[in-house]
Amino acid sequence: MALSGLGLVIYVIFHMLGNLQVFEGPLVFNGYAALLRDMPIPLWAARIGLLSLAALHIVLAIQLTSRNRQARPIAYAVREYRQASFASRTMATSGFVLLLFILFHLLHLTAGVIDPSSVDRPDVEGHRDVYGKVVHAFQNPFIVAFYLAGQLGLGLHLSHAVTSSLQTLGLEYVAFNRLFKAAGPTVALVVVLGNVAIILAIFLGLVRG
Amino acid sequence: MKFTLNIWRQKGPEERGRFVTYEARDVSSDMSFLEMLDSVNQGLIAKGEEPVAFEQDCREGICGSCSLVINGIPHGPDRGMTTCQLYMRRFPDGAVITIEPWRARAFPLIKDLVVDRRALDRIIQAGGYISVHTGGAVDGNVLLISKEQAETAMDAAACIGCGACVAACKNASPALFVGAKVSHLAFLPQGRPERTNRVKAMLEAVDREGFGSCGNQNECEAVCPKRISVRFIAILNREYLRAGVVESSLPAEPESPHAEST
Amino acid sequence: MELDSKIPPGPLETKWDRRRFTEKLVSPNNKRKITVIVVGTGLAGASAASTLGQLGYQVECFCFQDSPRRAHSIAAQGGINAAKNYQDDGDSVGRLFYDTIKGGDFRSREANVYRLAQVSTQIIDQCVALGVPFAREYGGQLANRSFGGVQVSRTFYCRGQTGQQLLLGAYSALCWQIERRQVTMRPRTEMLDLVMVDGQARGIVARDLVTGRVSIHTAHAVVLATGGYSNVYYLSTNASGSNVTATYRAWKQGAAFANPCFTQIHPTAIPPGDAHQAKLTLMSESLRNDGRLWVPTMRADHRCPGDIPDGERDYFLERRYPRFGNLVPRDLASRAVKAACDEGRGVGPGGHGVYLDFADVLGQQGLDVVRERYGNLFDMYQRITGEDAYQAPMRIYPAPHYTMGGLWVDYNLMSTVPGLFVIGEANFADHGANRLGASSLMQGLADGYFILPYTIGHYLATAKLTPVGEDRQEFRSALQRVMSRISRLLKVKGSRTAASFHREVGRLLWNHCGMSRNEEGLKSALTSIPALRDEFWRDVMVPGSGEAFNQELEYAGRVADYLEFAELLCHDALHREESCGAHFREEYQTDDGEPQRDDSRFAHVAAWEYREGTSPVLHKESLAFEFVQPTTRSYQ
Repeated sequence: MALSGLGLVIYVIFHMLGNLQVFEGPLVFNGYAALLRDMPIPLWAARIGLLSLAALHIVLAIQLTSRNRQARPIAYAVREYRQASFASRTMATSGFVLLLFILFHLLHLTAGVIDPSSVDRPDVEGHRDVYGKVVHAFQNPFIVAFYLAGQLGLGLHLSHAVTSSLQTLGLEYVAFNRLFKAAGPTVALVVVLGNVAIILAIFLGLVRG
Repeated sequence: MKFTLNIWRQKGPEERGRFVTYEARDVSSDMSFLEMLDSVNQGLIAKGEEPVAFEQDCREGICGSCSLVINGIPHGPDRGMTTCQLYMRRFPDGAVITIEPWRARAFPLIKDLVVDRRALDRIIQAGGYISVHTGGAVDGNVLLISKEQAETAMDAAACIGCGACVAACKNASPALFVGAKVSHLAFLPQGRPERTNRVKAMLEAVDREGFGSCGNQNECEAVCPKRISVRFIAILNREYLRAGVVESSLPAEPESPHAEST
Repeated sequence: MELDSKIPPGPLETKWDRRRFTEKLVSPNNKRKITVIVVGTGLAGASAASTLGQLGYQVECFCFQDSPRRAHSIAAQGGINAAKNYQDDGDSVGRLFYDTIKGGDFRSREANVYRLAQVSTQIIDQCVALGVPFAREYGGQLANRSFGGVQVSRTFYCRGQTGQQLLLGAYSALCWQIERRQVTMRPRTEMLDLVMVDGQARGIVARDLVTGRVSIHTAHAVVLATGGYSNVYYLSTNASGSNVTATYRAWKQGAAFANPCFTQIHPTAIPPGDAHQAKLTLMSESLRNDGRLWVPTMRADHRCPGDIPDGERDYFLERRYPRFGNLVPRDLASRAVKAACDEGRGVGPGGHGVYLDFADVLGQQGLDVVRERYGNLFDMYQRITGEDAYQAPMRIYPAPHYTMGGLWVDYNLMSTVPGLFVIGEANFADHGANRLGASSLMQGLADGYFILPYTIGHYLATAKLTPVGEDRQEFRSALQRVMSRISRLLKVKGSRTAASFHREVGRLLWNHCGMSRNEEGLKSALTSIPALRDEFWRDVMVPGSGEAFNQELEYAGRVADYLEFAELLCHDALHREESCGAHFREEYQTDDGEPQRDDSRFAHVAAWEYREGTSPVLHKESLAFEFVQPTTRSYQ
């Protein structure tokens, strides 16, 4: 759980950093996209790796959850949490939201199934105009709303997940324990802020086609 | 003071349980929570009814017998104490108080608010000890142990085995209980020779007993009457990973330590 | 009945060595065919059961708690003594021996106490090896503190949880033996009778507290490690489950009960509040290092303590014992508190309390110092009473705490019943008439780890033990005895709860056989107790059935035993016409209220034999002091 999750977290961070290049203009962004496409073997290896990591993560999550549910067959009539964070208590929900969002995102921007109105044509340098596609997408308020909801799920999930994974991997040292505790919320905040910046910048017209 | 109590009553493991409402009258604010239950029970007995079964013994917060979930929190509203250390002045007059037993598959119910916590003993039996024979010990000062190490071991060893961590955990995981014992012994030189097998055996026992797994929500730490830190869960995990690494370099079949006695 | 203490001859220092050498051993092959029953899993029981398991015996171990780790040894706070002399402050085996025998007011056996002091050093090593996290110095060595007014630092400790850590050490050793299947652990099982076959202890009858099933357990020897009987007073610092039933049942089967009147009353407990109170909470003795005890000089002075000027306060310990002041031993402090309250100068509800005042140390050394030293105790006090001891003085009152009396045992820890061994607080052996602080943990572990495992071997190697089966007449009739008693308890269906009888007999004992006793009071108690017992059997209400988990039935059975045992306690107190240690007879005191010991008439152990239908019969084991000279304890 922790290892597969951390693998996905690393991907999410690089995904966000890569996408921030949208602020550099269409040439840089499309060039980045083309760079990735020019390496089909690493690209597909990464894609398959990611998918299987995600699948493993989900399977493990379902297994663990069902076992954990069995560990308490009769629920408490009254239940009050004292310390468990909202994020930690909603991991299954936020994970499910995230899964839906990722499916949508893949169908939308990777496979291009969701929004056929976006046109797939080359830019001035002959690269595929991914930039144009993204900018087109985030002018649609419904898509923006859906992406923002996805980011909420991502943020919640990450804020518990990262700290929790470090704990599961036994990272513990008195001087650094506060750092480890802060890691989850910090990573979540950075990733979500980065992603949301892209979405809102386009929606508010700060980044244009 | 008076209170309305919703108490879980269940005649036996196979019977159906339900909440029964009792009125506790003439409660003095200086009474402990258990004394308040005592007085309710005295009233029930005088009427020839069966009193509410609940567990208690030392009544000073160290034996770990008491085990009530009060208004949704194991050991009740205050941090760092057991049920027996809770006093009625903590509740507003006229309050409604719901009392439930520890709930976990590994803690089958015996009666009313009493559950069977032997699963915790079996986890210790799996490896929560140092196997030294009586009489052969070297002088206590032969192995020097730094004050910090001894204090950390003591922090972990303070666990009273009440099971509140299991009761509070969404997954009914005993990670804090196991982590406390594994860490206590891992911090002391005397505990090191067996650390590899200890952590593995204890975690295997956890699985056998039907506990859930740790979700790192830290709710256990928040209800622990001895305020045992979740850092000991991280140490438990580290010890487990370490055991996996060390084990891969051990000879395949170590000689059984009890070969002679079997 | 013959009381043969079986003390080995020769010099004190080598008695135990010689005994270990002359004893017969059981061969390893035979050990696995021998079953030993251990009842109780406190320090003594858990350490004995685990060691016997290691030696290769088949051990069957019982406790009434849900886990062996919850035995009441767990509540001991202070520490454990050992003559290690790590501090190089002049401690030695001899000095620990002398302190213990003097602290016990010369009413214990020299040979036993010397052996205890000898073994004490091994206990620490054993506990360290088991992973007990004793407090350490910065350099990594074991730390010590001084405790209970002795002049050397010989007490080892784990914060305020020494008993807990020592018990968890013994419990972990026990767990190892359970895992190895050398020990069969039976938690939630209460011993209700001892079974004798051909004059030997050969088993017990026990009730499974979950299912209610009463069953027979056979063995080659039985070890009782069932603790003390302070709960006969109803309010005590003991756990509510602690009881006298196992030792009392054994007494009825022929084991002599020694010195039951030696009951220790601890001076610094939180005073009892209302009638619902079920337990007295101990405040560490260390509070007397800085706190000053006082009461108002006027009777029934209901002013706030802060409004009472210094001139109208009586610092009674400092006045009576100018040399030791507030640090006099437990028995003297307790009696002085009681005397002040009896004069009508007590404070708090019912006048049951005296002030323990920290104003001076707070003024001189500041809040921070006091908080660091006693913060957890002040917090505990506030939690229980709702009062802030930093603002106003604490109120304290004595509470029954430990019982030096117990089943009589010889040097080998065997009772007058062959095959019945008694260890820990349950026996009478080592503390005489008064126990010093941090000595009970030492004795429990000495008996369990280092003494019993040797001496029981000699018995098992030399006694003629015929095979017995559960179908023996003796077992069937013991089972019948237990079952009929249970059904009798259930059949009364009266109107009073067992607790109400317990409270009543407790109050009776506290008033007449508590901190100070006199002939008239004891005689009146001896007439009231049988009447109360009759009423119990006429009017007690025990709901539910015997074939199920029934806590009220367990409790009622224990109360029924208290109602009989209380009488034995009073008989012993009445017979001992002297004041020694914790036993204070008002007739035997000096003009200024100090106890008067009578070595010419009472330098003996009083061992009582059960006789059905009549008063218990007294046997005396005289105490010879060859190596130390009994002196008068003076703290003035």
